[in-house]
Amino acid sequence: MLEHFWLPEGISTFSPRIDFLFTLIFWITAVVWALVTIAMIVFMVKYRTRPGRKATYIEGNPRLEILWTTVTAVILIGLALLSRSTWANIKENGPPGDVFYKVTAKQFNWEITYPGPDGKLGTADDVTVENDFHVPVNKVVRFELTSKDVIHSFFVPWIRLKQDAVPGRQIHVWFEATKKGQYEIPCAELCGFGHSGMKGTLYVESEQDFQHWLKDKYSSK
Amino acid sequence: MSSTPASAIHVGHAEHHELGFVRTYIFSTDHKMIGRQFLFMALFMMAIGGAMAMLMRWELAFPETAVPFMHWVPEPYMYDGAIPPNTYNSMFTMHATIMIFFVVMPILVGCYGNFLIPLMIGARDMAFPVLNMLSFWVGAVAGLIMLASFFVPGGPAAAGWTSYAPLSAVPVYTGVDWGQNLWCISLIVLGVSSLMGSINYITTVINMRTKGMTFFRLPLVIWSLFITAILLLLALPVLTTALALLLFDRLGGTHFFLPAGGGEPLLWQHLFWFFGHPEVYIMILPAMGMASEIIATFSRKPIFGYRAMAYAMAAIAFLSWIVWGHHMFQSGMNPALGSGFMVTTMIIGVPSAIKTFNWLGTIYKGNIHYTAAMMNALAFVAMFVIGGLSGIFMACTPVDMFIHDTYFIVAHIHYVLFGGSLFAIFGAILYWFPKMFGRMMNETLGKIHFWITFIAFNCTFFPMHILGMNGHMRRIYNPLQYDFLKPIQPINVFISISAFVLGAAQFILLANIIWSLARGKKAEANPWRANTLEWTTPIRPGHGNWDGPLPVVHHGPYEYSSPLTTEDYLPQNVEITGKAAVAH
Amino acid sequence: MGDGGPGGGREAPIISNGRLAVLILLAGETMLFAGFIGSFLVYKLGAPFWPPPGLPRLPIQITWANTFVLLASGVTMHLAVRAVRRNRLARMRLMLGITVLLGTTFLVVQGREWVRLIEHGLHLTSGTYGATFYTLIGLHGFHVLCAVLWLLGVFAAAMAGRFTAFRYAPVEICAIYWYFVCAVWPVLFYLVYF
Ligand code: HEA
Ligand code: HEA
Ligand code: CUA
Ligand SMILES: [Cu+2]
Repeated sequence: MLEHFWLPEGISTFSPRIDFLFTLIFWITAVVWALVTIAMIVFMVKYRTRPGRKATYIEGNPRLEILWTTVTAVILIGLALLSRSTWANIKENGPPGDVFYKVTAKQFNWEITYPGPDGKLGTADDVTVENDFHVPVNKVVRFELTSKDVIHSFFVPWIRLKQDAVPGRQIHVWFEATKKGQYEIPCAELCGFGHSGMKGTLYVESEQDFQHWLKDKYSSK
Repeated sequence: MSSTPASAIHVGHAEHHELGFVRTYIFSTDHKMIGRQFLFMALFMMAIGGAMAMLMRWELAFPETAVPFMHWVPEPYMYDGAIPPNTYNSMFTMHATIMIFFVVMPILVGCYGNFLIPLMIGARDMAFPVLNMLSFWVGAVAGLIMLASFFVPGGPAAAGWTSYAPLSAVPVYTGVDWGQNLWCISLIVLGVSSLMGSINYITTVINMRTKGMTFFRLPLVIWSLFITAILLLLALPVLTTALALLLFDRLGGTHFFLPAGGGEPLLWQHLFWFFGHPEVYIMILPAMGMASEIIATFSRKPIFGYRAMAYAMAAIAFLSWIVWGHHMFQSGMNPALGSGFMVTTMIIGVPSAIKTFNWLGTIYKGNIHYTAAMMNALAFVAMFVIGGLSGIFMACTPVDMFIHDTYFIVAHIHYVLFGGSLFAIFGAILYWFPKMFGRMMNETLGKIHFWITFIAFNCTFFPMHILGMNGHMRRIYNPLQYDFLKPIQPINVFISISAFVLGAAQFILLANIIWSLARGKKAEANPWRANTLEWTTPIRPGHGNWDGPLPVVHHGPYEYSSPLTTEDYLPQNVEITGKAAVAH
Repeated sequence: MGDGGPGGGREAPIISNGRLAVLILLAGETMLFAGFIGSFLVYKLGAPFWPPPGLPRLPIQITWANTFVLLASGVTMHLAVRAVRRNRLARMRLMLGITVLLGTTFLVVQGREWVRLIEHGLHLTSGTYGATFYTLIGLHGFHVLCAVLWLLGVFAAAMAGRFTAFRYAPVEICAIYWYFVCAVWPVLFYLVYF
C-alpha cells in the first residue's frame, strides 16, 4: 500500500522532469503549509482567552506585508518560469519522430492507425486496430490525435502524458517510452456513459517484438 | 417612479406596517426576510446535493452493488438499487450544479449579501426592494426548473457541471434530452436573478451608506460582497451567452460547437471558463469576508492590514479574468497560451498569500475566544490554504498534464469549496443567527458538529490527493474497471466511509438550526460585543432596521482592544472624543 | 427625523439610484454582447471564406439607411432629454414620439430584411454564418424591441404629464439604455455586414 502514496513509476523521457517539478512544488507547498499551520496552532494556543487578558492593538505592519508579498511573488513567478521550458518541450516542439501513428478516439474506444509497409499514413495499406497501441521502446513516437464525436482525453499515467482528443482538430503528440511493459490507456475526459471503462493498452516492446507484431498484423489484413 | 425609490417606502421609519402573512413571509420586500428565504432554499438544496454525493460515494466504494434503501428508483435510472453509468454521470453533474449554483452562491450572495449589506452600511433596505424580491423568486424558479429536470424522460443533465460541448450539444451523445435543456434554461434564469441581485448590491453599497460610512470604513465582508457583485455582474452574462448558443445547437439546428458544421468545440470551454473562473472566486471572496469578521471579533483585535485585505480582494477579482485558460491546459488550446495562463495563475497566489498571512497576523497577540463560529472560521483559513496550495500544482502546466482530470482536482475542489466556502458558511450561520432569528444557536451542538465535520472532511478529501497521484481519473463510476486502480480501492472505501460520517454530521447542524429556532436562548442586542452596525439595531429589527434615526459612523469596523477605550470593543457608531476622533 | 431619504444623514449621492442601476445593467449587457461578438469573431476569423460561397449576401444599402434611422433616434432621444430639462414639455413629447417611430421603423425594416433573407435561403442552420447572423443581430433586435416597449411606457407617462424639469429621471434612465442600444449597432453593422 505505502508505495501508492507517491507518483507511480515514470517510464518516459520527460517523466523525470515532470516528477521533479511535482516534487519541487510538493516541498515548497509542504514547507509553506507547515509554517502557516504551526504559526496558526502556536497563536491559537498562546493567545487563547484567559481571565484578565487583553489583546494587543495592532493594525498592521506595512514592512512585513511587503516582505511576504515579494517573497511569495518571487517563488511563484520563479516556479512558472522554471516550468515553461519543460512544457514547451513536451507540447510545443519536441524531438523528431521515429514512428508515426494516427489515434482516433470515438465513443468508447481508441482507434490506432499504423502506417502500412510503405511507412506512410493515409495510404491504402494502413492498418487500424482498436485499443492496442504497440510502440517500440526508446523510440520517439509521434501521433496525430483526433476524435470522431465528443472530446476524449488520451492518458497514460506512467508516461505522464495527457492530451485531449478534440473532434475537428489534429493534435500532434509525442512521447518516448523507456521501459518495456503493458500500460493502460484510460480516457480522462468525460465522454458519455461509456467513459468509465474506455481504455486501451499501450504495449512498449523491443524493436524485434514490435516489428514482429506489425508484420503479423499486416499479413493478417 | 422617483429616482430614489427606497425613500418612498421608508420615510415613516419606525412604524411597523401590519403586512399580511403573504407579504411578510412569501412576497416580502424586506431584505432580511429575503435573506432568510435564500438561506432556507439553499439548505434544502444542500440536502439534495449532499444526497447525490452520498450515492456517488457508495458507488465508488462498492461499485455496481445495490445502494441500500434505493430499490424504489425505477429503471433505467437504477437497477434494483444499483447505479448504472449514466445515472452516475447525472449524479455528479447535478451534485456540482446544485452545490455551486443553488447552495454556495445563494447562501453567500443571496442570503448574506441581502441580510448584511443594508444592516452593516446603515441603510433601511436595499436600493430596490421590489427588484430584490423578484431576484429571490426568479432564483427559486430556476431552482424548480433544475429540480424538474430529475423527472423528465432521459433523466437530468449528465455532461458534468462544465457541460463540455459537443458531448452536451447533441442528445444522442449522452442519451439525455430535456434534462440538459432544462439545465441550460435553469441557469439562464438564474443569471437573470443574479443580475437583479448584483444591480441592487452595487447600487446599495455605492449610494446608501450612512453618514460617516466611507469606503474604507466598510467591514471587509461588505467589501467582499461588493466585489463579488461586480464579478457576478460581469461573469454571468458570459455564461448566458454560452448557454444560449448551446441551446441553439440542441434545439435550433445550429452548429456552434459541432465541427461537422464548422463549429468550434473549444469555444464552449473558453466561454465557460471565462465565466467559470471568476465564478470560483465569487464563491470564495464572501467567505473570506465573513471569516475576516468572525476572526477579528473573536480575537478581539483589529484586522491586520485592513486596506491590504481590501486591495487583495480587488486584486484577486481583477486577476480572475485572466486565468481561465488554466482549466484548458490539456484541451488542445495553443500550448504557448498555456504558458501565459500559468504565469497569471501563479500570480493569483500572491493576493491569496496576503489574505492568509493577514489572518494569522490578526490572531497574533489576540485574545481568542473559541466559539463554534470562531472554530469554523479558523478551519476555513486552514483548509483554504491546503486547497490553495494544491492549486499551485495544477497551475504548473507540466504537472497539470499528469493530474488534470484526476482526483487531485476533486480534492482541490472540495478543499476550497467545502473546506473554504462551506466552513465559512457554517461560521456565518452561527455568528449571525442571533441577528437573523433573535436566538442563539447551541454552542455545544455547534462544537460537536464542527469537530465531526472537520475530522470527517479531512478524512474524506485528503486521501483524494493520493488517488489523484496514482492517476485515478475523476468522473468514472467504477474504478475496478482499471487494473492499475484495483490496489488503491481500499482508499476509496475509506473515503466513502468518512463521507458517510461527514454527511451524517450535517444532521447535527440541521438539528441545531431547528432546535435553536424554536428553543434557542434569547439573544441580547450585541451578543458577541462586535463593532459593526448590524448589532446596533434592535435584536429582531423590523422593516426599516433602526427604530430611531440611522446610526452615524465615526471610525472603522475593527476597533477592538483599542488603547483609547476601556472596553475591548468600540462600535462604529460610538463617538470617542479627543485624540481618537482624529486618529480614525 | 434624522434621516431624510435613503442616504441617511448623507448628502445626496452623485448619481441617483436609478441612473446608477441602469449603468450597472449596461455593464452586464456589455458582457453579454461581448460574449456573442467574441464568438462571432472566432467563427468569422477562423473561416476560410466569409461569407461562405452560395449564401445570399446581406443587404448593405438598406441597412445603411436603417443605421441612420437608429442613430437619428439616438439624437431625437437626446433632444427629448434636453427639452425636459428645460421644461419644454411639448417638445419633449414630440421628440419622444419621433424616437418611438424611428425605433419602430428600424425594427420593421430589420424584420422585413430577415423575411427576405430567409426566402433567399439564409437560415439559422446555414452553417455558422447563418447562425451567428441570426443570433447576434437577433440579440440586438431583441434589445431594440425591449427599448421601444420601455420607451412606449415613458412616452405614455409623458403624455399623461408626469414629467417636469424637476422630475424627469425615468426619461433620462430610459435614454441611457436607448443610447446603448444605438451605440452597439454600428459595431455590429461593421463587423457583421462587411
Ligand atoms: C472556491 C473555489 C476555488 C478557489 C478559491 C480556487 C483557487 C485556485 N485554483 Fe482552483 N478550481 C476550483 C475552485 C477553486 N479554485 C474548481 C471548482 C475547479 C475544478 C473545476 C472543474 O474542472 O470541475 C478548480 C480547478 C483548478 C485548476 C484546473 C485544474 C485542472 O482541471 O487540471 C487550476 C489550475 O491551475 C486551479 C488553480 C487554482 C489556483 C492557483 C488557485 C489560487 O487562487 C489559490 C491561491 C491560494 C494559495 C496559494 C494558498 C495561500 C497562499 C499562501 C499560504 C502563500 C504561500 C504560497 C506559496 C509560496 C506557494 N484550480
Ligand atoms: C460547494 C461545492 C461542493 C460541496 C459542498 C461538495 C460536497 C461533497 N462532494 Fe463534491 N463536487 C463538487 C462540489 C462540491 N461537493 C464539484 C464542483 C464537483 C465536480 C463535478 C463534476 O465533475 O462535474 C464535485 C465532485 C465530487 C466527486 C467526484 C465525482 C467524480 O468525479 O466521479 C465526489 C466523489 O467523491 C464528491 C463528493 C462529495 C462529498 C462526499 C461531499 C460531502 O461534503 C457532502 C456532505 C453532505 C452534505 C453536506 C449534505 C448532507 C445533508 C443532509 C443529509 C441533511 C442536512 C440538511 C441541512 C443542513 C439543511 N464530489
Ligand atoms: Cu472517452 Cu472518456
Ligand atoms: Cu480556475
